[in-house]
Amino acid sequence: MDQILFALLNGTIYGLLLFMVSAGLTLIFGMMGVLNFAHASFYMLGAYFAYTLQPLTGFWLAIILAPILVMGVGILVERFILRHVHEHGHAHELLVTFGLSVVIAEMIKMVYGKFAVDYRVPAELNFAAFSLSGIDYPFYRLFMGGIAVVMFIAIYLLLTKTRVGIVVRSAIYRPQMVEALGHNVPMVFMGVFGIGAALAGLAGAVAGAFYTTNPNMALELGVMVFVVVVVGGLGSMGGAMAASLLIGITNSLAVGSDFRIADLLTWIGMGGWAEEIGGLLTMRMSSLAATLPFFIMLLVLVLRPSGLMGEKE
Amino acid sequence: MKYAPLLLLVTVAVLIALPWLVSGSMLNAAVQMLIAALFAMAFGLLCGQAGMLSFGHAAYFGVGAFAAVHAMNAFGGEGLLPTPLLPLVGGATGLVSGLLAGYFSTKRTGVYFAMITLALAELLHALAPHLKTVFGGEAGVSSFRMPAWGIGFGSLNDVYFLTLVWTLVSIGLLYLFSKTPLGRLALGLRENAHRLRFLGYNTHALGTLIFAISAMFAGIAGALQSMNIEAANYVVLESHISTAVVLNSFIGGVRVFLGPAIGGALMTFFGHVTSDLTRVWLLYQGIIFVLVMMFLPRGLVGELVERLRNPSGEGLARTLGTVLARLVSLAIAAFGAVFLIEFLQRVLSPEYRAGVTDGTWPDIALFSYDWAPLSVSPWAFGLGLFGIGIALVTMVNRRVAARKEAQA
Repeated sequence: MDQILFALLNGTIYGLLLFMVSAGLTLIFGMMGVLNFAHASFYMLGAYFAYTLQPLTGFWLAIILAPILVMGVGILVERFILRHVHEHGHAHELLVTFGLSVVIAEMIKMVYGKFAVDYRVPAELNFAAFSLSGIDYPFYRLFMGGIAVVMFIAIYLLLTKTRVGIVVRSAIYRPQMVEALGHNVPMVFMGVFGIGAALAGLAGAVAGAFYTTNPNMALELGVMVFVVVVVGGLGSMGGAMAASLLIGITNSLAVGSDFRIADLLTWIGMGGWAEEIGGLLTMRMSSLAATLPFFIMLLVLVLRPSGLMGEKE
Repeated sequence: MKYAPLLLLVTVAVLIALPWLVSGSMLNAAVQMLIAALFAMAFGLLCGQAGMLSFGHAAYFGVGAFAAVHAMNAFGGEGLLPTPLLPLVGGATGLVSGLLAGYFSTKRTGVYFAMITLALAELLHALAPHLKTVFGGEAGVSSFRMPAWGIGFGSLNDVYFLTLVWTLVSIGLLYLFSKTPLGRLALGLRENAHRLRFLGYNTHALGTLIFAISAMFAGIAGALQSMNIEAANYVVLESHISTAVVLNSFIGGVRVFLGPAIGGALMTFFGHVTSDLTRVWLLYQGIIFVLVMMFLPRGLVGELVERLRNPSGEGLARTLGTVLARLVSLAIAAFGAVFLIEFLQRVLSPEYRAGVTDGTWPDIALFSYDWAPLSVSPWAFGLGLFGIGIALVTMVNRRVAARKEAQA
C-alpha cells in the first residue's frame, strides 16, 4: 500500500514537472501558433546554467538567475530568428526551432562534454520529509512539486486577474484588434516567449539537480512533453495539466509493477501460448514503463484524435 | 532547364565510372552518400510533396536495415532472396510498418503529425533493446553477403554498384510516382487538404498510403546500409538519424525533386571529409541548417533552380560578379566563425583542460599557427574576420538593393 502511495506521489511530482515545461509550450503555441521544438532545450539550458552558477552564487541564487538567463536566450531567439522567418509560415518556424535544438545540444556537448555533469541537490535540502514503513521520502521531491504548483497559481492569476493577462489573452484571439487598440503585440509575443522559456529554464534548474543533467535530457523530456500536448490537446492549459499528471502517474506506477501481459492471458487459459511467443507478451511492466506514454498517446489518437481537452480541428 | 537531361546523363556516367576514378576510402564515402541521398528522397516524398513533416524517419530506415540482416541470415545463412534482391525485403518491411505507423500519425496533420512521428520513433527506440531476438541487444545482428548471380559481393566495387543501381532505380521510381495521379494528389494534400476532402477524396487513406510509400523507400535505404556494413544495431533507430535526414533534405531543398538527394549526398560528403578535422561537425550541420532556413528558405538547390528560372535581368557578367562577391565575403565570415568554434572547442576539450596546470595555459595549434588562449590575438583574429565578412556581405546587398531601386 505504501509502495503505491509513494508511486502516486512520485508520479504526481513528475507530472507537475512535465506540466511546467508543457505549459510554456502550450502557451507559446496558443499565442503565436509556433510549436517551439527548442522548448525542451531551454529546460536543458536552465539545468546547465544553474550548474555553472551554483559554485559562484550558491544554489538559491543559481535557480533564480538561471531562468532569467534562459529568458534572455529565449527573447533573443524570438526577436532575431523566429521573427525573421515568420513570413515563411509556421512549418518553417517549427523547422528553425528544430535546427536550434540541434545547435543548442551540440554546443552543450562542446562546452560541458558528452556525459552527465555533477549537479546535485544541495546538502541543506537533502533530507527526508517523512518516512512511511521505514522508507524515507526525499524533501527535494516535495520542493519540486511545490515550485510547480506555485508557478501554476502565479501564471493562472497573471493571466486571469491582471491587465497584462487581459492583453495577452486577447492578443491570442484577435491580434490585429489588440494592435489597433494601441498595444504593442510583437512585444507581447516576445514577452510570452521569454516567460515560456524562463518557465522551462526554472524547471530545468530545479529538476536537473535531482535527476541527471546530461546533453540528452532535452530530447528525453521533449518527447514526453510532445506526448503530453498530443494527449492533452495543444493550446489547452487544462488539457496539459491533466495529461501531465496522467502520464507522470502511470509512468511511476508502471516502474514498480511486475505485471506481464502473459499473466493476464493465463486467466483465460492462454498463458502457455504467451510464454512460447515471448517478446512483448512476457516483458515485465517495469521494463516497458518508458514506452507506456507512447501507448497512451496511440490510444488517445484512436479514441479521441483531438486530445483530452483539445478542440476539434 | 533544357540542359537538365544532359546533366543527368553526365552525372550517371560519372557515377558509373567512379570506382576507377577515386580511392577506396572515397568510394566508401560514395556508398554512404548514395544511401543518404535515397533516404533523403524518401523523406522528400513525404515532406516536400505531401507536406507532412516527419521527425521520426529513422524508424523505417532502421526497420528496413534489420529486415535485410535477418533476410541475409535466413535459412542458415543461405538468404531469403539472392543478395541483389535483398533490399526488396527492407522495402516490404518498411511498407508494412509505414502503413501501421501512417495510420496513426496521419490521423492528425501539421505539428501534431510531426510530434506523433517523433513519438513513434522513440517508442521503437525504447522498445528495441528489450526485444533481443529481433534487434540483437547491445551487440546487434551481423551477417554476410552471399555471392549470387556470378557476383561475389565481397569487394567494395560490387557493393558500390549494388547500391548505385538500387538508388538510381528507386529515385527513378520516385520520379515516376510523382507523375501518377496518386503523386499529384500528394501535392493536393500539401496545398489544400480541406478542398481535397470536399472533392470526395479520403485524405486519411491518402496520407497513410503516401506515408507507407515513403517508409518503403526509407526501408530500402536502410537495407542497403545494413548490407553495406553487414550488420545492424539498434543505434540506427536513434534520433540523430531522423535529425540528419531532416537537416540534409531541407538544406538541399524539399520542394525541388532532386533537392533532398543532393542535400543528403553533399552533407554526407562534408561529414566524411571533415570527420578527421573537426569533432563538432554536427554543430556545423545544425548552424548551416538554421542559416539556410533563415536566408535561403527554398534550400540550396531550390534557390539555384529559382535563380536559373528567373534571372535577375542584370546581365550575366554583373550577376556573376554579385554572386562571386557574396561568396567571397561569406567565405571570409565563415572562416572567422569556423576559427572561433574550433579554437573554443580545443580550449574546452577535456584533454586540453587536463593539461592546464596551476594557471599556465599551453598554446594551441590551429591552422599551422600556435595561439595563446589567454591573449587577445586568436579571439580578435576570428571575430575580426567574421565581422569583416559580414560587413562585406551587407555592403554587397546594399549595392544590389540600390541598383534595383535605381532601375525601378
